[in-house]
Amino acid sequence: MASSCSQALRHHVCKSSRILRVHLQKAWPNRSFVLNPAADQQPAVSSPEEIVIPKKKTWSKEAVLQALASTVNRDPTASDYRFQDDPYLTPKTSSEFKLFSLSQESGRNAAKYFISTYPKYFQKDYAQPHIPCLMPETLEAQLEEVSEAALIERIQMRKVKAAVDLYDQLQQAGTPVSLDVTNQLLDLICFYGDCDPAQENVPEQRNEETVGQENKLSHNKRSPCLVFSFRENNNAERVFALLSEPNTHSYSALIRGMVKYGAYSKAFSTYTDLLNNQLKADVSTFNALITAAPEVKEKYNEKWELIVDLLKQMAEQKVKPNLLTLNAVLKALRRCGTVGKSQAFPVISEMRALSIDPSLASYNHLLSIFYKPGHKGQTDILQEVMNEVSGKSFTPQDPDDAQFFITAVRICLDTKDIEQAYRVHELLGVGENWRLLGNDFQQNIYHARFFSLLCMMENIDVVLKWYRDLVPSVYYPSSNVMRDLLQALDTDNRLDLIPQIWKDLKQLGHGNRQTLVEELLTLMAREKQNQEVQETFAECALDIKKMYDTGDRGKVMMSWTAGSLSDLVSVLLAAQRRQDAWEILKLFKTHNRVPSEELLDKFLTCIKESGDVNQALELVQISAGFCLPGTPKLIQRVQQEFLLSEQQK
Amino acid sequence: MAASVTRPALSSLCKINSNINGIYSLTSFSRRISISSVLSTSAVTTETEAAGRGVRGQRRSKRQAGEPRTERMTVDQDWTAVYPTAASFKPSAVPLPVRMGYPVKRGVPPAKKGNLELIKIPNFLHLTPVAIKKHCEALKQFCTEWPSALDSDEKCVKHFPIQVQSKEFVSAGLSLRNPDVRIVTLKVKLSSLNLDDHARKKMIKLSEERYCKDTDTLTITTDSCPLRQQNYDYAMYLLTVLYHESWKTEAWEQEKTRADMEEYEWEDSPSQKKVLDTLLRMRALGAKDEVEEGTREELLGQPAVQEYRDTMLRLKNEGETEENLQQYKEAVKKLFNI
Repeated sequence: MASSCSQALRHHVCKSSRILRVHLQKAWPNRSFVLNPAADQQPAVSSPEEIVIPKKKTWSKEAVLQALASTVNRDPTASDYRFQDDPYLTPKTSSEFKLFSLSQESGRNAAKYFISTYPKYFQKDYAQPHIPCLMPETLEAQLEEVSEAALIERIQMRKVKAAVDLYDQLQQAGTPVSLDVTNQLLDLICFYGDCDPAQENVPEQRNEETVGQENKLSHNKRSPCLVFSFRENNNAERVFALLSEPNTHSYSALIRGMVKYGAYSKAFSTYTDLLNNQLKADVSTFNALITAAPEVKEKYNEKWELIVDLLKQMAEQKVKPNLLTLNAVLKALRRCGTVGKSQAFPVISEMRALSIDPSLASYNHLLSIFYKPGHKGQTDILQEVMNEVSGKSFTPQDPDDAQFFITAVRICLDTKDIEQAYRVHELLGVGENWRLLGNDFQQNIYHARFFSLLCMMENIDVVLKWYRDLVPSVYYPSSNVMRDLLQALDTDNRLDLIPQIWKDLKQLGHGNRQTLVEELLTLMAREKQNQEVQETFAECALDIKKMYDTGDRGKVMMSWTAGSLSDLVSVLLAAQRRQDAWEILKLFKTHNRVPSEELLDKFLTCIKESGDVNQALELVQISAGFCLPGTPKLIQRVQQEFLLSEQQK
Repeated sequence: MAASVTRPALSSLCKINSNINGIYSLTSFSRRISISSVLSTSAVTTETEAAGRGVRGQRRSKRQAGEPRTERMTVDQDWTAVYPTAASFKPSAVPLPVRMGYPVKRGVPPAKKGNLELIKIPNFLHLTPVAIKKHCEALKQFCTEWPSALDSDEKCVKHFPIQVQSKEFVSAGLSLRNPDVRIVTLKVKLSSLNLDDHARKKMIKLSEERYCKDTDTLTITTDSCPLRQQNYDYAMYLLTVLYHESWKTEAWEQEKTRADMEEYEWEDSPSQKKVLDTLLRMRALGAKDEVEEGTREELLGQPAVQEYRDTMLRLKNEGETEENLQQYKEAVKKLFNI
């Protein structure tokens, strides 16, 4: 049931069978002149013991290192390998993690920028063997003259605007540009959407247009040109029109560019042009068109019919579909509602018949078709998918592969299926699948969902085992997840672990979240525990109090509420710390909060045990100060239970 | 405090050969030092700021170090995961209460936190027996089986008398290459080669100091070529040439004088002449002075003379020991009938 935690994110590498290639080669030839080794003996001479020297094995350069690396598991107390292993320098909260990893990256980028901008200082090569990626790379185009070679160079350096300008110059000068080069130029323009890709190392030149466009897509990390819509006389169409005989490649580039940047109907009209010119489209064109199909039609049936139509045309033109076709069809089926559910499996079986194996992206689309968020249904699709997928190692073949794990764990969370969740997590440990978990943000989502599911479904020992394994080496939980953990503790009646959790909370940076802290206090104050647990609770409570007080460093300050104050007092009283409780009681006045009657009653009982009359009187005065309705009762109690002098009466 | 102690050590540390621990330890250590020095200076400045300026705007609180990893390590954890490769000593990752260094005055050696002595020395925390077992298991797939016929050392030497040794080096640094890798050492026992007496003596003479008399081993070390394969070929070539040359007899070898001989020969030696002379004189005291060929052999054939000869040979070839001298004394006594 519980998969071994140490294999959670094991960087497992190739097995032995893929490392070795048995090579036909004898051992070192022995040139001594006395007794030759058996390899040179005549086979007719049968010695009682023939020395058979086995063939020497050969392996790749990294094979030994990989074999040794396969003996190493993940260390559950260490943080990510990127960071320095020092208690001061490892990140303790998720924001620190992000900050540190980004700062490392930015340092690296700054170094690369300097090396590339001033290459003459970095020419000496120390490394043996030569490491090409550490040498300065040329950022500026070398060839200056107006020629095709210069155009090719600019295309390779991905300078879109410069390439287009040069092309125009070439056209004006009358030099013919070959079809291949023009196709490459078209590819470049259509891929980057007619604007230069953002240079990572060079600080971006911000002009007004780009700023406006960037504001539109705060969530999208790609280049600002995504919102760029295919304008009327943009460069791609212009270059295309200048071509005398566009071939399949040019049409394909244009159609894919149109689909990527949202000009769907134009894509279809270009496709009809292609058919009119009696040219054949290739696989990627069809993939792009299938992706565009759900956008141009409205009703589910029509969408599906269009896709089927395209597939039929593909068969007519003898174009073999590939994995991306399958994924495109499945992705389109997501938008097709009920039709999608009925058609998904036949599509997969047909593709299987063509020996196209579904990748994780296909399974992801499949799951999304059958498990719409918010839609309650009973299906076993997840189990069947997991049966298919378990134990296999996948390589990244489609950009959507990275969504599989997140979708799968979301479905497990919605359907509260812990068995499948364990299987999904086990799949992550197989082979190279850990690469398919996505970037840090997606990893965080995955772990958050997995852990919440665990807290909901499993008993506290299992939860704690996973907690110790995952936190904080792999995952920095958010305050919501920590609240789930607290609820799990509560359900299983392990409230004695609260002080430890509080320590972890402080480290994770959630120590100043009001709701969380108040919930902690409530849990501690609710029941009376045995003595030592109560002591630890008291320590913890005083620590919490410090968090409220030290608000002079610009941290988010928490404000006391009546509930939290009363909880704090009850915890301290239960641990027999009257003095501290008395201090807190005074805080009621300073923070303008009203204590409840039960609290004052409890306090009185506590005072009675110690028998301090003055304190009792002060208590009565306090309650009178707050004009509590229970004051007369208090007075009565005090009079009954204490021996008062005349003055005190 | 830590910064002031470690600053003079930084310059010496920079000169430490990076071959020992790799660049990683050097950079991590220097980074730690720089952080700690920055920390101490920033702490000082914030204090003076607070005193001088008072609260002004937002001051970021001083970052606290978290608890060390050792607190969270369980007793039955997988140590090979904590120290998978050679790394410098990390006090926050090693859960042992180690102390090292010269004791503080009337105290104990300093603790492990911030202890430079522990970081400087090489440690083998990555090579615990468990780790070595795991590594061996993983490396077994690269090995072939040992031939079953070779189950004793004698058989190995009998079938494979030539031993070739070469070294491989692994280090982390700017360059993966190590020029010492080209050195090839070839060892062979002369007893396993097919040599007669003259060939053996000539071979020993030709190989001079490469031959070790005690173990009867000829060791050829080659490092003149840039590649190991070339050096190996050269060593085998040298062996071949030595062998063939020692079988040949050149014309000028006839001129071998007594001074060139490797071991003492009794025949035609001054000792023999003296003995003959003495014996003849002893005999000829009563007879005439006639030296005949026959008497010479007869004299030499006497057992006393043979014994004298043996002891003389033993003395000269093996050196002077108590035993040898005793035997010589006996032989002389017998010779002169004392």
